[in-house]
Amino acid sequence: MIEIRDLVKRFDGFAALSGATLTVPAGSVYGLVGPNGAGKSTLIRHLTGIFRQDAGTVRIGGEDVWENPGLKARVADIPDDWYYFSQASVRDMMRFYRGFYPNFSMERYETLKDVFRIEEKRPIRRLSKGMQKQAAFWLALCCMPEYLVLDEPVDGLDPVMRRQVWSLVLGDVAQRGTTVLVSSHNLRELEDVCDHVGIMDHGKVLLERSLAQLQDNMVKLQVVFPDGVTEVPADLPVLHASKIGRIHTLIMRMGAKEAEELLAAYQPLLVDAVPLTLEEIFIYELGGADYAVRDIVL
Amino acid sequence: MNWEVRIMRSGISCFNATLFRKNLGRFWPLWGMASFIGVLFPLTLVLQILRQPQYVVTKLDVTGGYYSIAGQVAPVLCLIYAVLCAMAVWSYLYSARSVGMMHSLPIRREGIFLTNFLSGLAMMLIPFAVTGAACVAVSLAVGAFDAGSLAVTVLLVLGNCLFYFASATFAAFLTGNLLALPAIYFLLHFLEVLLDYLVSSIATGFFVGVEDVYAGVLECLSPTVYLLRNVGVNYIREDVVITPAAGDPYTSRELVDVVLENGRLVGFYALAGVVLLILAYLLYRRRGSERAGDVMAAGWLRPVFQCVVTALAALGGGVILYELIWRGLQYGTFYEAVPMAVCLSVGGLIGYYAAAMLLKKTLRVFRGSWKGAIVVVVCCGALCAGLHADVLGVTTRVPALGEVAQLELRLAENTYILYAGEDDGLLEEALALHQAVTADVGRIRELYENDYDYEGMGAETVHTLQLEYTLKNGLTLHRWYSIPLTRERMEEPGTCEYLMDQLVNSEAMKARRLHMGDSRYAVEGGYCSGEYSESEDLGSREAEAILTAVGQDLAEGAWGEYDWFGDRDGLEYAIYLELSFRRTDRDAGMDWITINVRPEMTHTVDCLLRLGLVTEEDLVQRIQLYPESYPETVWEALPASAGVIGGADTMTSVMVMG
Repeated sequence: MIEIRDLVKRFDGFAALSGATLTVPAGSVYGLVGPNGAGKSTLIRHLTGIFRQDAGTVRIGGEDVWENPGLKARVADIPDDWYYFSQASVRDMMRFYRGFYPNFSMERYETLKDVFRIEEKRPIRRLSKGMQKQAAFWLALCCMPEYLVLDEPVDGLDPVMRRQVWSLVLGDVAQRGTTVLVSSHNLRELEDVCDHVGIMDHGKVLLERSLAQLQDNMVKLQVVFPDGVTEVPADLPVLHASKIGRIHTLIMRMGAKEAEELLAAYQPLLVDAVPLTLEEIFIYELGGADYAVRDIVL
Repeated sequence: MNWEVRIMRSGISCFNATLFRKNLGRFWPLWGMASFIGVLFPLTLVLQILRQPQYVVTKLDVTGGYYSIAGQVAPVLCLIYAVLCAMAVWSYLYSARSVGMMHSLPIRREGIFLTNFLSGLAMMLIPFAVTGAACVAVSLAVGAFDAGSLAVTVLLVLGNCLFYFASATFAAFLTGNLLALPAIYFLLHFLEVLLDYLVSSIATGFFVGVEDVYAGVLECLSPTVYLLRNVGVNYIREDVVITPAAGDPYTSRELVDVVLENGRLVGFYALAGVVLLILAYLLYRRRGSERAGDVMAAGWLRPVFQCVVTALAALGGGVILYELIWRGLQYGTFYEAVPMAVCLSVGGLIGYYAAAMLLKKTLRVFRGSWKGAIVVVVCCGALCAGLHADVLGVTTRVPALGEVAQLELRLAENTYILYAGEDDGLLEEALALHQAVTADVGRIRELYENDYDYEGMGAETVHTLQLEYTLKNGLTLHRWYSIPLTRERMEEPGTCEYLMDQLVNSEAMKARRLHMGDSRYAVEGGYCSGEYSESEDLGSREAEAILTAVGQDLAEGAWGEYDWFGDRDGLEYAIYLELSFRRTDRDAGMDWITINVRPEMTHTVDCLLRLGLVTEEDLVQRIQLYPESYPETVWEALPASAGVIGGADTMTSVMVMG
C-alpha cells in the first residue's frame, strides 16, 4: 500500500503541495488526475525519493521512502521526461539498472525484446520519443517492481503499443500483485485501466474513490417534465443542467435510485439514468470545487 | 528470500561499482586525453636521450624532475583538471531529469556521493599514474630509478589530487548550475588574491604611505599561489675535486643532493580537502533535488552570493569606473571621496542586480528592490567616508615595539634588517622615525599631489623611506614614503628629517652597514672593478681584508657619513666595490653593501692596491671622468691638483696631476 499523509512541499515560498493525502491500496491501479500545475509530478517525485517533503509522511508498504534503498529497490518509476545517458543504448542502460536493482530480470529483458522490437545497441537519443518511452517501460518492467509509479506513461505511444504496454502492466498487477500509481491527463485511458482514482488540484487531493464508488456517487439523468414545467425545479440539488427540446440532462451528486425518488415528486414523463464517463465526473467534481472547467477540456 | 538479502546489501553499501564503472566509461575522453598529454613528457625525455646518447641522466636528475613536477606543476594541472572532472561526475546535479534519475535509484545519497567522488578522484589519478609509470620505465631504462623520491612524489600527487578535487566537489555542491561551478571554484581559489589586490589598490588611493603590494596576509586561502610560492626544490651543489685519469685535478661544482622544501604543506591541504569533502557531503544531505539549475544550491547561500558579488563588483567595478571616468577628467594622486563613492555605488548596484538576475533567473528584478539598492549605495558611501576620514587610523598606524618581530628598513640606499630582541635600540629609533613621518604626513601628501615637485615646496631633494614590518602575530605591515628634504629641517630636532639623519648616520647604523663585530653575519665575498682594471670576484679572505680596512676608515671618520644632499657626488673614485655577507645563525639569505671609495679612505685604498684589485691608474674620481654629469658646486670641492685634458668647449678626459 502507498500512503501519503498531509504532504507539504514548498519551492521558494510557493506551495506546490499543501497537505496532500492519498492512499493506494495494494495491488490496485490508481489513477491520479488533475490539471497542469496541480502537483501530480511533485507528489510522484516524493514517492520515488527524489524530493524530501517539508511536512507530512510518504510511505510505501509501511516504510518511509526517503533514503530507503531497500524499499526503492522494489519501486520502479517512469517519469514524464525519462533520463538516459547521452551516449547510452538500451543495452547500456540495462547494464546500469541491473547494477542497482537486485531483482532485475535478464530473462524478462530477453522476453520483452520481442515485444518492444527496439534495436538495443542503438543510442537512445537516436530513437523517436515513442520508442524512448518503450525503452523506459522495457527497463522498468525488467526491474520486477512491487510498486510501479508512472507519470504520463503512454504519451507518445501509438494506440497499438499503448494497448501492449497496458497489457504488460495489468499482467504484472494480476500475476505479481504489483501496485501501480499512474498520473495522466488522459481520463478515457485511465477509465479503462484504473480501479481507483484520485483527483488533485492546487496541491491537494480533492477526492479519491474507487471507480465504482465514483460512478455510484454521481448520476446523469435525462428527464422530461410534464407540461407547464419548463425549468428544472429550484429545490433539486443539481450540479449541472442542460436542455435540448423538452429533454433536461441533469447531473446530481447521489445514487440513481435516490435521484429518481426525488424526481418522482414532479411526476416526470420520462426519467432515464445514463452512465457517467470518468471525464464527466472529473469535470463536475472540479467544477464543484470552483475550478475553471474550460481549462481542462480534454 | 534471495533477493531480500541482496537488497539489504544494497541498502548499507556506500559504494556502487556500476556507477563507478559508468562514470569512468562515460568520461573516458577526459582522462584519456589527459593521460595522452602526460605521456608526452617522458616521451620527450626518451627522444632527448636518443638524440644525445652522451647525456647521462642521474638519480638526482630524476629526483629533481619528480619534485619539480610534484611541487610546481601538479598544483597548476590539478587546479584546472579537477574542475573538469568535477563538472563531469557531478553534472547530474544540474539537470532536473538527471538528478531525478540518480536520486530515484535504490542507493543512499552517501553512496552516490562516495562513488562519484571516487570516480572523479580516479579520473584525476589515472593520467598521473600513466605518466608516472612511463617516467619510471624511462628511469629504469637509463638506470636512474630512485624509489624514495618516487614515493614522495606519489604522496604529493595524491595530496594535490585529493585537495583539488575535494575543493571542486565542495564548489559543485554550492551551486546548481554547471556553468556556475567553474566560476565559483576559481573565485574560491583566488578570492584572497583578488581581495588583496582590490583592498591594496583602494588603500593606496586613500592613504599616504600604503604600498600597492600583494600582502598575502591570508595567502594560504589561495592554495595554488601558496603552494607555488612555498613548495620548491633545492638543488644542493658543492665544490668537488675531480681527478681525471690524465691531467691535473680540478674543482667542479657538482649536484650532491636534491631536497623538496615544504612538501608537508601539500599534506595540510590534503587534510583541508578532507574537511571540504565532509562539508560537501553535509551540503548534499541538505540539498534539494529541485535546486537543479539554480545558481546557489541552498537558500542560505543566496544572500551570501548576492553580498559577495555586490562587494566584488563595487570594489573592482568602482575602481575601474573611477580610473576610466574620473581620472580621465581630473588627474589626482589620491582618490576623491565623493566621486569614488559614486563609482563604487554604480559598480555595487550593477553587481547587486546582476546577482539578483542570476538568482531569480529573470531580468525582472527591479520592482521592489529599492531597499537593497539603497543599502548598497549607503554602504559604498559609508566606506568612502570612512576611508576618507581614516577611521581605522591606517595612515597613522605605527606598531609598538612589542608587536614587531622584524623590520626591514630601506633608507639611504641601504637595506637594514632589524630583529626584535637583537636590535631593540635601533628598532626604537626606527619606530620613532616612522612616528615622526606619520605626524608630518601632510607634507608628503602635498609632495605626491604636486606630482613630486619638491623644489616648489622649497626642498632640495627627495629620499625614499620603506618600512616592512613583520609582526609577532604573523601579519606584515608595509609603508613607503617619499620625503622632501631641506637642510633646515634636517637640523631641527624632532622633524622626521632630523630623526632620519640621526638614525642613518649614527655610529651603530654605520657599523651595522658593515656588520662589524656582529657574529650573526660573515663576509663571504664580493666584487671589485676599477676604471682601468679587470673586474674581480672577491674571495672570502680578500673581502675580510677589505672589510677590516673600511672599518679602520670608519673608525677614523673617513667613511660612513651618508650624504643626503649629494654634496660629495662624483668625488669618489671610479671604483665599484661590493661586499656580500651571509647570515650565520639562520637561513635569512644574503646581505650586501656597495662602498664608495673616496680619497680620504686611505686604509681601504691601500688594501685594494695591496691586493692588486686596482692600480694607481684607477684612483681617479668620477667627476674627473664625467665632468658634464656634476654641477659646479661639486667642482669647487675638487682639490686644485686635479686638471682636465681636452678641448676648449668640451672636456673629454681627466688626468690626475698629483
